[in-house]
Amino acid sequence: MIHIASSLSVAVLLAAIASPARAAVNVVTTTEGLAAVVREVGGDRVKVTALSRGIQDPHFVDANPSLAVKLRNADLLVDVGMDLEIGWLPPLVIQSRNSAILPGGARRLTAAAAVPPMDLPTGPVDRSQGDIHPSGNPHFLVDPRRVQLVAAAIAARLAEIDPGGAAAYTDRLRAFRAKVAAAEKGWKAQLAPFAGRSVITQHKTLTYLLDWAGMTAAGYLEPRPGVAPPPSHVASLAATVRSAGVKGVLVENYYDRRSADQLRDLTGVKVIVIPGDVGGTKDASDWVSFVDVLVRALVQAVQ
Amino acid sequence: MVNVALLSLLAAQAVGPAAGPAAPAPGTPPAAQDAVKEAQPQPFPAGGYNVGSPGGIPIGKLMLMPEIAVVVDGALGYTTLSTEQQERVAGPLPQHKAWPVLQEVELAFQATVDPYIRGDVFLTFTPEGVEVEEAFLTTLSLPWGLAVKAGQIYSPFGRTSQLHRHQWTFADQPLSMQRLVGAEGLSGAGGDVSWLAPLPWFAELHVAYQATRPGFAEDVMQLTGVTRLIQYFELSDSATLGVGLSWALFQAEAPVQWKNLAGADLYVKFRDPSSRSSVVLQGEIYGRQLGDQAFSEARWGGYGQAVWRLDRNWEVGARYDNAPAPVAYEGGTQETWTALGTYYASEFFRLRLQPSLVLLPGGQSGFQGLLSFEFTIGAHAAHPF
Repeated sequence: MIHIASSLSVAVLLAAIASPARAAVNVVTTTEGLAAVVREVGGDRVKVTALSRGIQDPHFVDANPSLAVKLRNADLLVDVGMDLEIGWLPPLVIQSRNSAILPGGARRLTAAAAVPPMDLPTGPVDRSQGDIHPSGNPHFLVDPRRVQLVAAAIAARLAEIDPGGAAAYTDRLRAFRAKVAAAEKGWKAQLAPFAGRSVITQHKTLTYLLDWAGMTAAGYLEPRPGVAPPPSHVASLAATVRSAGVKGVLVENYYDRRSADQLRDLTGVKVIVIPGDVGGTKDASDWVSFVDVLVRALVQAVQ
Repeated sequence: MVNVALLSLLAAQAVGPAAGPAAPAPGTPPAAQDAVKEAQPQPFPAGGYNVGSPGGIPIGKLMLMPEIAVVVDGALGYTTLSTEQQERVAGPLPQHKAWPVLQEVELAFQATVDPYIRGDVFLTFTPEGVEVEEAFLTTLSLPWGLAVKAGQIYSPFGRTSQLHRHQWTFADQPLSMQRLVGAEGLSGAGGDVSWLAPLPWFAELHVAYQATRPGFAEDVMQLTGVTRLIQYFELSDSATLGVGLSWALFQAEAPVQWKNLAGADLYVKFRDPSSRSSVVLQGEIYGRQLGDQAFSEARWGGYGQAVWRLDRNWEVGARYDNAPAPVAYEGGTQETWTALGTYYASEFFRLRLQPSLVLLPGGQSGFQGLLSFEFTIGAHAAHPF
């Protein structure tokens, strides 16, 4: 017994010396999509928590003080930016008393700073245009081109915070890029026959993906961002459907389906419910499978 | 937010539709934290902006401006209660008249001062005059989970008494709060030290030292010590429970002064994460012991309310309130039943209809109705939890 016990203790001691306990970098992200990208780049060197879930509309997350507790010990906060989280993140950051994650802080990374934006308003900007994002469209993580830029920015920042892992982060970034490139080949092949076609979406959430796919949005169920569709707008969209030959409407699963169903009743378009982010549905479990679900939905929407 | 918007507008003039991304090689320094791409030139449209002799981009100066917001609250009010029956109520209405009133204009200026503190200033303009509602600094980087707020501040007492008008769900504050705490809550110059406990749930302890004007003796300022423990527990993915305990101690002096004021508050929010709908149940109890009273003579009161946000546009609520009746009723209690219907045209504009049934001692009763609007211009405020 004593012999076994002492052997075990020696084994444990050796194990402890051989692989010293390394504290994982505690990364907190605002959305599950960002969390998925951080996991790809960080691997087992990071512990990732998302403040919101893929089934939630990221504009309207509650500023629940319980989330401030998660931010208190964050080694890195990654947010999307472009005012996407302006309704809930700032008070949580202040409440957390973690000064390094304040905007511009050493442990704060805003993904929007790494990507060229689309939908920048030209001309005067005011709220008669609805709840617009004056700094550009923040729904850029669905874009295979831009997600690689975000991943690179995350890898670089992780390497600053955890210099011992710099080589690992570089390797994982390369692997993620290769994975995305391989997936892109398949997606482009699926979408090639449908270049130039258009769909209708609820909000401007698929602008970047449609741009990448060579497709367009013929119209939006919301007459202006954040404004609920009145029946008159749905009726005018019906005319757009006929003139542009739209066959499908894509609606995230956190939106009310009423207006999409009204349009379907008027014109016969298909209503396709899509996840809003990674984790929005069971099969959107990581970034590649999330975009895979979206690409399949796009293909379905134009047939 | 203004800064990034204007910078991006400027950049958009020359960048145009999505320019080819400059992919940073792995291991290169990360992209700049702000929207300025250091390696790229700052373009200006021909014949557009005046560059200005000091050089650099003129928008840069605007980046240092505070966030500014203005909130305007107006209402049409009707009451069958007399002035005596509306004793100690903020904004009493004339009896039997449909009375339009601009209730408040709040001007907010908020900015980071330096790496150590942020500044928040709120001015209110009401029919009673201009007032500094709050003006304080908040520390940004103290150790051990501490934060200090100093200046003119709302006391960390109770739940609803700390809210600015635009954060209220109902169009007025509960009568129990107005009569027992103060018609406009409890506030004054001083400091509030708070500590976020290193626990897996949210637990925050406040200790404040202020000079306040509590309810019954508004022309006399008193040294006040306030302490509050507020905790939030995640009951499930979609339900949160908040429990608070508060206590204020006033330096007792002649003639009618408060000595102790205690409060307990409860808050439960059920929110379906994949929609905008939610149900919030909230209640508070207040107990006040005046300087010349035994504890058994302390006055109690409180309220309970339920609010159902149906979707992005509609909200309904109900509130029951039990408060000390006006002095003329010699120690009786007054009950108020209130219903609420709110239409949110957008996040920045709401309309509320709020009827109330008031039951006074001796079988007397009254009716009150408020039809109010509220709009916000300027910086996007955080959605209240």
